[in-house]
Amino acid sequence: MTRGRKWGAIGSVVAMAAALGYLVLGSFGDSLVYFYTPSEVVKLSADFHDRTIRVGGMVEPGSMTVMPQSLKIGFRLSDGETTIPVAYEGVPPDLFKDGQGAVVEGNWNSNGVFQASFIMAKHAEDYMPIEMKRDGKAMPKEDWLKSLRN
Amino acid sequence: MFVTIAHFAVVVALSLAAIGVLASLVALRTGLPAWVRVGRQAVYLTFAMLTLGMAGLEYAFLSHDYSLAYVAANSNTDLPLFYLATALWGGHEGSLLLWAWLLSLYAALAARLHWNSHARTMPYLLLVTSALLVGFISMIVFLSSPFALLPEIPVDGQGLNPLLQDPGMVFHPPFLYMGYVGFSIPFAFAMAALFSGRVSEEWLKATRRWTLFAWLMLTFGIVMGGYWAYYELGWGGYWAWDPVENASFMPWLTATAFLHSMMVQEARRSFKVWNVFLIIVTFALSLLGTFLVRSGVISSVHSFASDPSRGVYILLFMGIVLAFSFGALIARSGKLKSEVSIDSLASREATFLFNNLFFLVAAATVFVGTLYPLFLEALTGGKVTVGAPYYNQVFPPLMLGIVLLMGIGPLIPWRKASVARLKQDLLLPFGCALLATAAGFMLGMREAYPLIGLGVACFAAVAIALNFRSATFGVMRRDGLSWPRALWAAATRNKRRFGGQIVHAGVVMMMAGLIGSGAFKTEKDVLLNAGDSFSLGSYTVRFQGAQFRNGHNYDALVGFFEVWRGTEKIAELRPERRNYVNAAMPTTEAAIDDTWLRDIYLTLGSANGDAYAVKAYLNPLVKWIWTGVIVMGLGTLFALLQGRRIKGDKA
Repeated sequence: MTRGRKWGAIGSVVAMAAALGYLVLGSFGDSLVYFYTPSEVVKLSADFHDRTIRVGGMVEPGSMTVMPQSLKIGFRLSDGETTIPVAYEGVPPDLFKDGQGAVVEGNWNSNGVFQASFIMAKHAEDYMPIEMKRDGKAMPKEDWLKSLRN
Repeated sequence: MFVTIAHFAVVVALSLAAIGVLASLVALRTGLPAWVRVGRQAVYLTFAMLTLGMAGLEYAFLSHDYSLAYVAANSNTDLPLFYLATALWGGHEGSLLLWAWLLSLYAALAARLHWNSHARTMPYLLLVTSALLVGFISMIVFLSSPFALLPEIPVDGQGLNPLLQDPGMVFHPPFLYMGYVGFSIPFAFAMAALFSGRVSEEWLKATRRWTLFAWLMLTFGIVMGGYWAYYELGWGGYWAWDPVENASFMPWLTATAFLHSMMVQEARRSFKVWNVFLIIVTFALSLLGTFLVRSGVISSVHSFASDPSRGVYILLFMGIVLAFSFGALIARSGKLKSEVSIDSLASREATFLFNNLFFLVAAATVFVGTLYPLFLEALTGGKVTVGAPYYNQVFPPLMLGIVLLMGIGPLIPWRKASVARLKQDLLLPFGCALLATAAGFMLGMREAYPLIGLGVACFAAVAIALNFRSATFGVMRRDGLSWPRALWAAATRNKRRFGGQIVHAGVVMMMAGLIGSGAFKTEKDVLLNAGDSFSLGSYTVRFQGAQFRNGHNYDALVGFFEVWRGTEKIAELRPERRNYVNAAMPTTEAAIDDTWLRDIYLTLGSANGDAYAVKAYLNPLVKWIWTGVIVMGLGTLFALLQGRRIKGDKA
């Protein structure tokens, strides 16, 4: 291959790699979805109202309300310190119920209600070490919250 | 008693693997064949001991031996026999034992198959496989033993996670592991080549079929996981870019790149360093894939209750493997300089180069997306998820590029193509692509990616057909056979090439399915009383009501639905919501009516008074994904049938 051709070839490969790199990393920042606990979410500034975020906590027992003849549900999500109201329209996943862990993805809107577009329910027990389950202990809060993160 | 023996056997296996390492080292130092034989025996016996270990664990499951913590945690008396038998790999400890057993099986097979043809490579092969076995069995014996005992024997076990009580989930881990473990043999051969300093095409030729087989197993394992997710998890999709899914996808991407680039080395003796690099990366990613799901850093459907010492061990193990392999590569890269370089961009070498570029960028993309959250949390404590939009932005153009190359590659010659000839060869496929795109546009498709995707898929399909055609015509002219016979003769004379083309045809089918279901799915959430109906695309779905029924170890709420199109009843669907005896959570069983054109997919949710929440999906072309992978499998098997003339390294 002549020198000119060789540089041309290298150049086009580099250009393509750069284009692909831009494609990969350019969209990266916008696709990040941050995770917060209810205590952290209430402290977020108004800038966050447009961003899609995730919040994890436990569904407060007795807080679930279902609008009759519709798929609209409301409930409260708690991390032991703070509780936030959540609104969702649709069919929630199988594990979703009172007293279970859940992660919601959506927007924290200006009137203090979290509008969820997805609910991911987690069976917190599954992430407990066998020994602790047998002792009947509840999981330490940090580990349990960590298990909800993903 | 048998179980105790089995446990002991696994410990003995560890010693044997260590002996294998030592014997191989002595063999290399002294050059005495007797020590190589010791190493080989060590590998054979390691396999025997691990087989005994597996048998003992299996026996513990089948006899409901709840003194073993692992058996108690993963089975109970009600568990149906099929799932009882396969619960062995339902949890971390047992699946790790399966991995180690498969590794010992492959090592023993490799030692046997290559004993005569690759005598000089053998000590290195035994060394690497024995060292890997030491690593894995140590982890089993010291950190994750399935034979650990409970202080008190419980009356009954905790049962198997209902999500795993499913044929798809039963076969998914073995196939995946046969893929991961399969790459250890080409890896070992590459290491042998590096350590011995004799790097030629021999290591590639020796391991071509191992690589192909491992790749096939990994492909099946991944798609099986997707298939299972589709019909079992009830969210109407098959891939969520979940870290654990990604962990298996990364080695697949680099392995596919490797499968192609090794052909360049065979044909043109170039890409030498690159090929060694690729197999190291592929095997490292296989290890990462194995460990990511059990290190505790990721919680997901797959994760097992974690233990920090495991994570540390895993990091150490991978660090050692990477240090040795990359170290060897760097040390020997001088000997790997290629004899030839790329002459022209219009050549098959160049298409392979671009193929590799796309696949590696894809792998890097997934790597960044999967590991970034972990790094961020380790560094700042901030928790983040990388969402689907990231992957959906990057993958379509890459996929299109790859399929386009699939069409061009086989038609373009090595070294340098005459551009005029190339234009002539590609004219028909290109023309068909334009027609297809136009047809799509006229049918109402307006989004760029699906339209281009349709065109590219057509391009590749026609190019593949032309390939078959020209090969057939060539034989017809030369041997005067009828075209079916000529086609068969052409295929059997070059199984590798034809098998590859069949695999590519399967890829085109899969791509059609991915575009159809990805870009054109319809989803609806509805609340239904008995007698209600709703529309889904051009169909009407009628809900007749729900009833209870009892299964082997669960009871279920069954929904009765009828799907109509106008006045014609198309299907009856019965999605279920099951409550398993040992689980606190209900499980969804979706009902799917699948045709070549579309899937109608229904799941039954919980009741709201007298009404039921129902999710309905209309997913076009999903069936093409599953059939596409089967075609890929058939093509791979065909290509595997082609043996090689053994030159070996007896010299």
